[in-house]
Amino acid sequence: MNLAVKDPKVKGALDHLRAATQELHAAISDAAAKRGGDIKADLATIPQKAKAAAESLKSSMGAQNEAAKKHLSEAVTHLEATNKHAAESLKTSGAAMHTAVKNALTEARAAAQKVSEAVAATRSAQSTAKK
Amino acid sequence: MRNYIAVVFNDTGKAYDALHALWTLDDIGGVTVHGTAVVHRDQWGAFQVDTKETHPALATAIGVGVGALLGALAGPAGAAVGAAGGAGIGAATGGVVGVTTDLVRADNRDQAAYETRLVVRNGQSAVIADVSEDSTTAIDSRMRELGGVVYRRAKSAVQDDTWFDYPYDYPYDPYLYPYEYIPPAYAY
Repeated sequence: MNLAVKDPKVKGALDHLRAATQELHAAISDAAAKRGGDIKADLATIPQKAKAAAESLKSSMGAQNEAAKKHLSEAVTHLEATNKHAAESLKTSGAAMHTAVKNALTEARAAAQKVSEAVAATRSAQSTAKK
Repeated sequence: MRNYIAVVFNDTGKAYDALHALWTLDDIGGVTVHGTAVVHRDQWGAFQVDTKETHPALATAIGVGVGALLGALAGPAGAAVGAAGGAGIGAATGGVVGVTTDLVRADNRDQAAYETRLVVRNGQSAVIADVSEDSTTAIDSRMRELGGVVYRRAKSAVQDDTWFDYPYDYPYDPYLYPYEYIPPAYAY
């Protein structure tokens, strides 16, 4: 896999958060690629990662413009759902587990999308301010 | 402005160079890339989408979703054909899955005024992306340097064409990778 996420040391807070949600999606999709028992070991850390990402987003919202805040708020909702579905996948097996993994992946994708939209809103506002 | 783009190349390697270039443009802040996928059409006309090894149900969903998006990029008529024919696009997880489909042809004269004329010919590859861009110059210039032909439709126009209900803002977003994913076979 070649996952080119941004270096959090040289990017802003929003880029760091975006990288976190991208990595979360990558981790779930990599886990989903596995067959058999290994999948649960890979999923074990997902609920905690989703929760941590949601908390980081919440704490960063104050510094963002209104458009970005709206996107980040929606991202938090998706991350909380990711956490819920990932936790459910650890307690279930068979078809129920696969459904939970699929739902977690969908929610993680939506969270990454919303953070990306927040990044775009911030860049657009900065671009407008420069003109 | 929020747009879907398709950039068509004669060479698969160039398509992955373009994918990397798009994410590099995002990295420097010139555009914001929300998601990408790479689609190939083999010499017999079969489409395939490069995805990670994954559960078969997910792979099928990706094939259907990206197929529908290709149809939507071809214009209003293509949206209906693409949604119906999207299942013909296989999600290639190492092997080749897929059947021949002509869903992205825009050669009907009556449709021409509405079409972007997106055509992916046999043997060609296309990078599909969902982007936010203040100007089309950055992407167009870079893709031209790489030998690609850029097709673009406003995301709002694609949404207007979408005739089926879907629980998300847009039906295609879940099928594009939200980061630069390059399969091992094409990795640098």
